[in-house]
Amino acid sequence: MKERIPVVLLLLLILAAVLTLLLTQHGYAFQDRDAIMAPTSAQHLAGTDELGRDRMVRVAAALLIGLTGATAAAAITTLIATCFGLLAAFSPRLVAIVLLFVSDLFLSLPWLFLLMMARSLLPLTATPMETAVITFLVLAVLGWPACARAIYRGAVQLRSAEWMIQGHACGLKTRQLVRLHLLPHLQSLFLPQFLVCVPAFIVAEANLGALGLGVGEPMPSWGSMLLELDNSALLARSHWVYLPIVLLVAVLLILESLTSKVETNA
Amino acid sequence: MRNLLRCSFVSVAVMALCTVSALCQAAPRLPGELAWAIRYDPKTFDPAKVDEQASELVRYLTAGVLVRLNRQTQELEPQLAESYSISQQGTLIVFKLRQGLRFSDGATLTSADVAWSIRRVLAPATQALVAEEFISPSDVTVDTPDKLTVRVHLPKRVIGVGKLFDWIAIEPANRPSEGRVTSGPFTVAEYKRGQYVRLKRNPNYWRRDGTGAQLPYATGVRMDVLNNREQEIALFLRGEFDLIDGLPADYFGLLKQKAPQSTRDLGASLNTEQLWFNQSSVAALPDFEKAWFTNRGFRVAVSEAIRRADLARIAYDGHATPAYGFISPANTIWHNNNLKYPHESATDAARMLEASGFRRSGSLLWDGSGHPVKFSILTNAGNAARQKMAAMIQQDLASLGMQVTVVTLDFPTLIERLMHKQDYEACLLGTINAEPDPSSMMNMWQSSSPNHQWNPSEKTPATEWEAEIDKQMQAQASNPIQNARKAAMDRVQQIVADQQPFIYLVYPNVLQAVSPQLRGVQPAILSPGLVWNIESLRRQEGAR
Repeated sequence: MKERIPVVLLLLLILAAVLTLLLTQHGYAFQDRDAIMAPTSAQHLAGTDELGRDRMVRVAAALLIGLTGATAAAAITTLIATCFGLLAAFSPRLVAIVLLFVSDLFLSLPWLFLLMMARSLLPLTATPMETAVITFLVLAVLGWPACARAIYRGAVQLRSAEWMIQGHACGLKTRQLVRLHLLPHLQSLFLPQFLVCVPAFIVAEANLGALGLGVGEPMPSWGSMLLELDNSALLARSHWVYLPIVLLVAVLLILESLTSKVETNA
Repeated sequence: MRNLLRCSFVSVAVMALCTVSALCQAAPRLPGELAWAIRYDPKTFDPAKVDEQASELVRYLTAGVLVRLNRQTQELEPQLAESYSISQQGTLIVFKLRQGLRFSDGATLTSADVAWSIRRVLAPATQALVAEEFISPSDVTVDTPDKLTVRVHLPKRVIGVGKLFDWIAIEPANRPSEGRVTSGPFTVAEYKRGQYVRLKRNPNYWRRDGTGAQLPYATGVRMDVLNNREQEIALFLRGEFDLIDGLPADYFGLLKQKAPQSTRDLGASLNTEQLWFNQSSVAALPDFEKAWFTNRGFRVAVSEAIRRADLARIAYDGHATPAYGFISPANTIWHNNNLKYPHESATDAARMLEASGFRRSGSLLWDGSGHPVKFSILTNAGNAARQKMAAMIQQDLASLGMQVTVVTLDFPTLIERLMHKQDYEACLLGTINAEPDPSSMMNMWQSSSPNHQWNPSEKTPATEWEAEIDKQMQAQASNPIQNARKAAMDRVQQIVADQQPFIYLVYPNVLQAVSPQLRGVQPAILSPGLVWNIESLRRQEGAR
């Protein structure tokens, strides 16, 4: 029962965010210029921001965008890492060394600066949606090496397992062995790797956004919303400014807890 | 990956600790010393070579000058020169120096030092910005009939030539010292890169107050290099700083709550915030976009759609004035009171676009050749008011069907795109007008100038109206009759309002904070607003 608590909490948060977006009168970008930094009201449950945009709606949208983007990016990263790890595990020694060297090279790169560089090369006219997609894609493309290492180690251990040797002896090709036997055995490795990536990508997007290189305005994201915390004048005007950071920490803790439980079970 | 996550948490904690510890730091204040913050390190202490604000301020505080522009009355006042005269043709200026002038090291200041300083500033090798204002600096000659007289011969009349001598520091002949030996109120005593600049009182400064007491009153000035508003305000509230000049509007409200008697809003400044489109023929833009941006109807429609009152109220918290021209109403002499400008109306804007060949289909606007109207507005990161204005303009223009993306870039990258690559569509930035006379704006309005931002360095004016601006600017720069100059400038303001090469948005107010312990402050709109009368400023300990 305890294992389900993080899942339930996460689903409740997602449900609340979806309902907030469905029930709102205006979108997350709508500026109510007669309600700048408005306090809590029936119309604006968490008040409004400096441009009169509903804070609750924006936080709900940021939560969904962050979770969706990070989940998709984590799936892509896990896929790339799986392909890379298995290729290295079942390739001739020389090829494996080269592949692992490439992976180490990626790991040693200053990823934040690389992300900033890649993100700043985007065309200026990229729409907010395009910037969101590209930001998470860049995260996915740069985030695979650590996962690939773990999957490589797992695959190498299983490579010399008795059932693998028996499979080979029965005439199964490596491709068939991987598909039919190895991948199901590695499933317990994929899920934790995938779950670890999700909060990491959420934090990475928040870092990029805080540097002005994340998801483009007016689309809300954790990063752009956390920027408000840099201004003490705003902090003094409304406590709702803290809502994004509170929710971000809550989401990260839930995801961490979920990952720990999955890892323990695995 | 998990380590990465933990590293992020740890880095946030470390950053928070660093911030807290940085808040507690400030260089120690010496008795009688004034202190405030400057954003960046001065690039140079050589008064002849300054080209940015921090160096300019150090020059202002240390340089002895022949005449000085009173920042309140906007009139020239004699300084090292007891008197000066300009010939009727405007080609000869004669300065008569005061008796007994000395440099901070005790050496006598004579006309030879003045002549050497002026010649040095005018020499091409110095590359002094002020030299350009003499129109033909290489033809300017200086002679010294006696030890107290300096004569400057100009090849032709330069309008407002007197004020140019406010920018020329008089240094010991053949002994340039980068501010260590000066004839002004202070000298450079200590500089720690990235930390502070410390000035000390010039014991030989010529000026005395009404009671005969030696000026300046302050024993020194400490300017901390600090590019963090949060820390600056915290240090001001703790009494570590005596003043803040140029407060951002969002912090003004906060400071007003905490120290209401310290804040001052002087009203509209001379500065402007504006949006413009890239009209350069060499810009790396598709032809259809160039066609939009060079289309007057398009620019006027954009101008009509922007709700400037909202920008002033929201982006500046009410501390700004809607702008329709490049000369602020605070500049009472040169502002065109009869300016006719496009009135704000989304309906008129839509009509104007239709008349200019654009059509609305669904939520998007399309041009005559079937391209959707999409463009980006660049602005600099770190300026909250500009980012808010850009977001608001994005919504205003969305009502016309224009799809606008807002891109914030760090300043060097932005300047690289604007000035060197011409790689942008629209830009939102501001202009700092240091002085009211329009002769200082020549480099912005002359079509041949590299600072003619919407279309820099034109070989010949690209349009008739730009040729007309060139002509009128030349007229105001060469005509000695004030009424004729004013008429020329009124015409330029009207052309700009008609053509909208710059879409003016707001004039930000001058916002300042002054410690109750600081005495003698006479706030001015012109830079350096709070310390222009530095000699008269002093700190009264214990005052509240």
